[in-house]
Amino acid sequence: MQQDSHRSFEIVEKFVELKNTSELMIDLAYSALLLNSKELAEEVQRLEEHMDKLHTEYEISVLLSQFKEEEVKGILGLIRLGIVTEEIADAAAEIAEVVLREIEPHPIMKLVIEEADETVTYTHVSENSPLVGKTLREAHIPEETGMRVLAIKRGEKYIRPKPDLKIDAGDILIASGYAEGEEDLRKLASPSS
Amino acid sequence: MKFEKIEYKPKPVRELLLDMKNLSELMIDLAYSAALFNDKELAEEVLELERRIDTLAYQLDMTIMIAARDAEDAEALAGVAKVAGATDKISDAVADIAVIVKEGIGVHPIVMKIFEKAEEHIARVKVNEKSIIVDKKIGRLNLAARMGINIIAIRRGKDWIVKPEDDEKILHGDILIARGAASGIKRFKELAEGKNRENGELENAAG
Repeated sequence: MQQDSHRSFEIVEKFVELKNTSELMIDLAYSALLLNSKELAEEVQRLEEHMDKLHTEYEISVLLSQFKEEEVKGILGLIRLGIVTEEIADAAAEIAEVVLREIEPHPIMKLVIEEADETVTYTHVSENSPLVGKTLREAHIPEETGMRVLAIKRGEKYIRPKPDLKIDAGDILIASGYAEGEEDLRKLASPSS
Repeated sequence: MKFEKIEYKPKPVRELLLDMKNLSELMIDLAYSAALFNDKELAEEVLELERRIDTLAYQLDMTIMIAARDAEDAEALAGVAKVAGATDKISDAVADIAVIVKEGIGVHPIVMKIFEKAEEHIARVKVNEKSIIVDKKIGRLNLAARMGINIIAIRRGKDWIVKPEDDEKILHGDILIARGAASGIKRFKELAEGKNRENGELENAAG
């Protein structure tokens, strides 16, 4: 496989999306549990379906890459990594399923997630926020607040936070991070004056 | 492979589940780093973490069984058991990444190219008794400012301390998991392995 071929770029891009989506799903699944949110849990289920499709596309790209014989182990490694991301996604979907089955979350669960190092918050973006009209890349939210945007809720839709995504007024940022960052994010997204 | 005998320990469900969640998240970071930098030592730590999570999963099951007193408890705790089971599955999946490294399969270098840009490495460092960091508190070593690295976890025998506090003392024999720039990791490794004892500045800073 030529290292800078179009094909290898495609493989890397798809792998990064598989990895990121599987980790996003874990975060969202725990958030769904904490907030007892069926919407979030359903989003996790939708992402799981998306992962299935993406995983197949990824495997096809890898298999089509015209690798040389000496590259075969590395190619096998790529395929195995893909399988791991899919298994993580399945496990996250199982966590979300608990919410969808209307099992009232045990108080223990709430304690676990709140006592974990990171908390999850919903923050509304108001019209006067400096974030409006900026892409996530330009917004520098992690640098400014220490919070990581897990997903953006826009109306009924949940959007995965890609760097090129523009923030709109009315968006709800679902973010996780250390508790100290919550207030900073709120000030940035909904300035009082 | 030798399996450990697991006995019931009176530990709150909350604590067990929290440990499982934190350790499985640590595993993900460690495993990808092991795969991308073909680091066999780190892969071994991932597998060690997986065994630790298995033990916790058993203990959690036992605790849940004892905790359920009526149908209502059972319904609520079934959810906890399901979540713990899923966390265990995540750790099993992630352990397969470590196996790729351990068995010498490796990952095609095209993927490494993109992650090398991230510059952050994770490495496993064993603390030698001769090292000047022995018996020092993490906070006083000032590692982030001095070398651009952080200690993200400590393995002490079978116990794991995830995100250790500043006042945690480093003991000889500790396995430290450090994250940071490659050059900082290299310097820290030499220090922890007792190969560099000339660092007077650090002595002073660490007091």
